[in-house]
Amino acid sequence: MRKHLLLTAAVVGFAAVVPPTGPAWAVDPSRLENAAKNPNDWLMYRRSYEDWQYSPLDQINTTNVKDLKVAWTHTPGRATRGLQSMPLVADGVLYYSGSYSRLFALDAATGELIWSYIPELNEDLIAQQTHSPYNRGIALGHGNVYVGTVDGRLIAVDMKTGAPVWDTKLVDSEKLTVGFTGAPIVVKDKVLIGAQGGEWPWRGPIFGVDAKTGKKVWEFFTVAGTEEAKKTWGNESWRTGGGGGWMPGTYNQAKDIVYWGTGNPAPLYDWAGPDWETKGPRPGTNLYTSSVIALDPDTGELVSYFQELPHDAWDFDSAVGEFLRIERDGETYIVHPNKGGYVYVYDEMLNFKNAWPLVKNINFIEGVDEKGNLIGRRDMREGKHTNLCPAIAGGISWNSGTYNPKTGLYYKVGNEWCMDLEIVKTTPILEPMAQLNIGANFTFTDPEGGKAYGHVDARDPITGELAWRIDFPEPPLASLLSTGGDLLFVPDARGVLRAYDARNGTELWSQNNGLGHNGGIISYAVDGKQYITVAVGWGSLVGDAYPDLFGEPYKSMATDQGWLVTFTLPE
Amino acid sequence: MTIRLGGIPALLLLATASAGPATAEHLDVPNLFASVCGFCHEDGGRKAGKGPRLMNTERSDEFLRNRIAKGRPGRMPAFGKMFSDEDIDEIVAYIRALEPREEASVR
Repeated sequence: MRKHLLLTAAVVGFAAVVPPTGPAWAVDPSRLENAAKNPNDWLMYRRSYEDWQYSPLDQINTTNVKDLKVAWTHTPGRATRGLQSMPLVADGVLYYSGSYSRLFALDAATGELIWSYIPELNEDLIAQQTHSPYNRGIALGHGNVYVGTVDGRLIAVDMKTGAPVWDTKLVDSEKLTVGFTGAPIVVKDKVLIGAQGGEWPWRGPIFGVDAKTGKKVWEFFTVAGTEEAKKTWGNESWRTGGGGGWMPGTYNQAKDIVYWGTGNPAPLYDWAGPDWETKGPRPGTNLYTSSVIALDPDTGELVSYFQELPHDAWDFDSAVGEFLRIERDGETYIVHPNKGGYVYVYDEMLNFKNAWPLVKNINFIEGVDEKGNLIGRRDMREGKHTNLCPAIAGGISWNSGTYNPKTGLYYKVGNEWCMDLEIVKTTPILEPMAQLNIGANFTFTDPEGGKAYGHVDARDPITGELAWRIDFPEPPLASLLSTGGDLLFVPDARGVLRAYDARNGTELWSQNNGLGHNGGIISYAVDGKQYITVAVGWGSLVGDAYPDLFGEPYKSMATDQGWLVTFTLPE
Repeated sequence: MTIRLGGIPALLLLATASAGPATAEHLDVPNLFASVCGFCHEDGGRKAGKGPRLMNTERSDEFLRNRIAKGRPGRMPAFGKMFSDEDIDEIVAYIRALEPREEASVR
């Protein structure tokens, strides 16, 4: 165990401890760019810019995983809507955020507190927000920890001490209602973060902020961010278009571009049905919503894009998915799951290659053709419609799958559920503060011929060929982790963390963590010892549908608790 | 009081609101459910979803008014600054009048 020196508290209400003097406190851009090569750390959301959500560590393996024991736990307190974030680790220190953007730095081997930072937020605003007050993650770089807030700020604190460095208001959340819940990423000398959006009548910007000063350098509007895009929104509907890149994208060092997925347009459903090109609330294709975009990280200028769902009429964002970068046969592919249940494959400049379905119950389209066009769109007019699949919660949710280069397999959760809906002509509410604009009454249903359920698939990431699948009575809603020890970890919705043989899906170990999982899971090493840390806590908006859909244990599952649990092998 | 129109011309709302147009006197509560409340209270409040079913609720009017105005942290937003007391009374009246739908749908 390390020795710590007590210091005077530098931040709100908590004692601080001097962190261990590690080899390199600066998490500089070159270290981030080489994150995949350092097995000990987990330096960013999904671990490295390759977005694999994979740890090469192999001390914990298929033989000894049965011996895993709890090393330590930590609770952030005030865990309203559980704990949805992804912890990060650098040089033996674990950093994480809880609801209300509460930040903690812990000794990654013992869980002992090094510092905490509890930002003061606009609680009056939070009480009026729907998608609040959870936080889904942080970024490290330039000696700082970065976190967004639901009241529209991006904050930097010193990663050694937790002392605030800068605090920049980027979004007028008091007017627009939305703020930041997704993790930022650090790219070279900037911090990038996307605003919430989708259901809200705004223009969903992605921001580039100077990492050292906090000064906003650029802002890219996912709704009508170019003159070309503005023409795809009839009747000036871009003014209330939605969008939003509410989950983090990633960076391609070789091409010097940033990939980001964007949210759906508002209202979610469109009473014009098949006449959407000229009629309805947002006539046109609605660029750049439900798209993948490539931006110049220095300027925020659009370099390339592909709109996965032109005129999305189902709330199936492209914001949800990771951007796996995979090399095969001399080509580099970008693999990106869409909320509708298809996984899209691109080249590095986002030229469409192919798409494959992860989910069985899909009828909002009949398919995706060889050019990426949607076949057999189900454009629904005003009125009642039954059995739309997937349901509004998506065939794919926002937490990450994992790619394991040893098996060559991509592990990802698919959701099987549908819904009935009545599409209604609605009007965006902007005053005194923006409100959701759904455009329908809906109700979740089981798929025809069975119950709603979920599954973890192991597939070829490029072709979608299925290697094996494990069904779950309810879709797991947490991120997955695969490791160099040939293990796949699945934190499930009921609260059981399970380890499988990543090669064949054989279950090898499980641990009941006592509450549903809905956040991140990572692996790292300190002093030659491997650890697995998982976020425990329940209460996301998708999870809120579980009590009515599935009954117990969700009816009595707490949504105001959360903690980290860290596992390791016995001495 | 009416649903706030924002950047959309009032005539458009009057022309398009399906569940009866909003007027200067009345909040268009069915429309409000299709844009905002229905995200959690499914099928216009007839069915549970992320939030509880509202039709046939045993809660008192006072409870409903208070919950709409003040919300519940982590569960329901507070709409007290969004809507006047009269608006909230209309929402409560809508909830009290909820009945099961006639079965009829199109694919």
